[in-house]
Amino acid sequence: MRKTFIILAILLTILSVIFSALPLGTLALAPIVLALIAIFIAFKNSEIDQRKLPKRLFIVAYLCAIVVVGKTFLMKDKVAKDTKFEQQKVETKQEAKKDLEDLEKDLK
Amino acid sequence: MKKAVLVIVTILTLCSFKSESNVGIPSGEKLVFAGSYNMSGLMTQLAQVTLSTDIVTTSKNAYLHLNCELATYAKWDKFFKIRDLYESYVDPITLKPSLYKRSIDEGGYIKKEKYVFKGNSVTSTTKKRTTPETTKTFTIGASTQDVVSIMYKLRTMDLSKMKTGQAQSFTIVFDETQIPVTVKLLGMETVSAGNLGSKNCYKLSIGAKTDVLKGKDKNLIYLTADAKKVPALMKFSIPVGTGQLALTSASGI
Repeated sequence: MRKTFIILAILLTILSVIFSALPLGTLALAPIVLALIAIFIAFKNSEIDQRKLPKRLFIVAYLCAIVVVGKTFLMKDKVAKDTKFEQQKVETKQEAKKDLEDLEKDLK
Repeated sequence: MKKAVLVIVTILTLCSFKSESNVGIPSGEKLVFAGSYNMSGLMTQLAQVTLSTDIVTTSKNAYLHLNCELATYAKWDKFFKIRDLYESYVDPITLKPSLYKRSIDEGGYIKKEKYVFKGNSVTSTTKKRTTPETTKTFTIGASTQDVVSIMYKLRTMDLSKMKTGQAQSFTIVFDETQIPVTVKLLGMETVSAGNLGSKNCYKLSIGAKTDVLKGKDKNLIYLTADAKKVPALMKFSIPVGTGQLALTSASGI
């Protein structure tokens, strides 16, 4: 029982770290919550001298939670400046103007 | 993802009622939305959608340029970068389209389309990155709009005269075909409208004879219940999930 939850806690904690690093927003909280549950169960099933690993996993999962919540509230979502896209918009507008001129000639 | 993008733009731009009074869409209007997708029960913000208008003049006419841009947030660009551009050049009064352009770049999938409206026919030109350019001419109805102009058309309608549950049918042209769409008024609801604050809105359900939209009354658009009828919130349901577009800022309205 303890071994199962220790393995589960390790896997979920690794997943929490990966999800926290990716731009998944609050979705990253899902593995963190599951990791904390697994860590808690593993901790409860551990003897006093066996609680070092669950404690360390808890610290990692807790830090992941802080990172995710911090990123959610402190970092604003923004679109990167894309000069290629801006140029494309200018060109497509010029082409459209020409197409409209041609259409007007056709409809004459 | 591509379906999500299609639905976002379609929902953004769907809707047409027979016009009772054209209020007119102002040039210089800019509406910015935050696009979110439901991932495992949590709404995750993916992209910014911007609707803007400006006047384009030729030697003979002036057109209202309706522009719809979709761009993923910087944090997503490394994983799946989207830069989509949907444009419509319409008559400033009647909003009848003369030219519709679509240029999409979704994670490297590139497609360009151009529809030229000549009376009751449309000549479409399609170019994908790996395939040669194709041209097709097809007939449309007198009131058929493109997917961008239809949204603005809706905003010029008098929704106050519609009763709850009342539906209207119309036709849009998309992907070189005409799609019949139904819009039903579900009632009124107060929603957050970005910098405009909380607004009482018309809640409209969009139904289309397509596999892209799923569920009954699950594709919704909320228009502010005032003369401007600003789209404050849009919710969509597609085979691969659900999402929404929430208005974050409105200017020039």
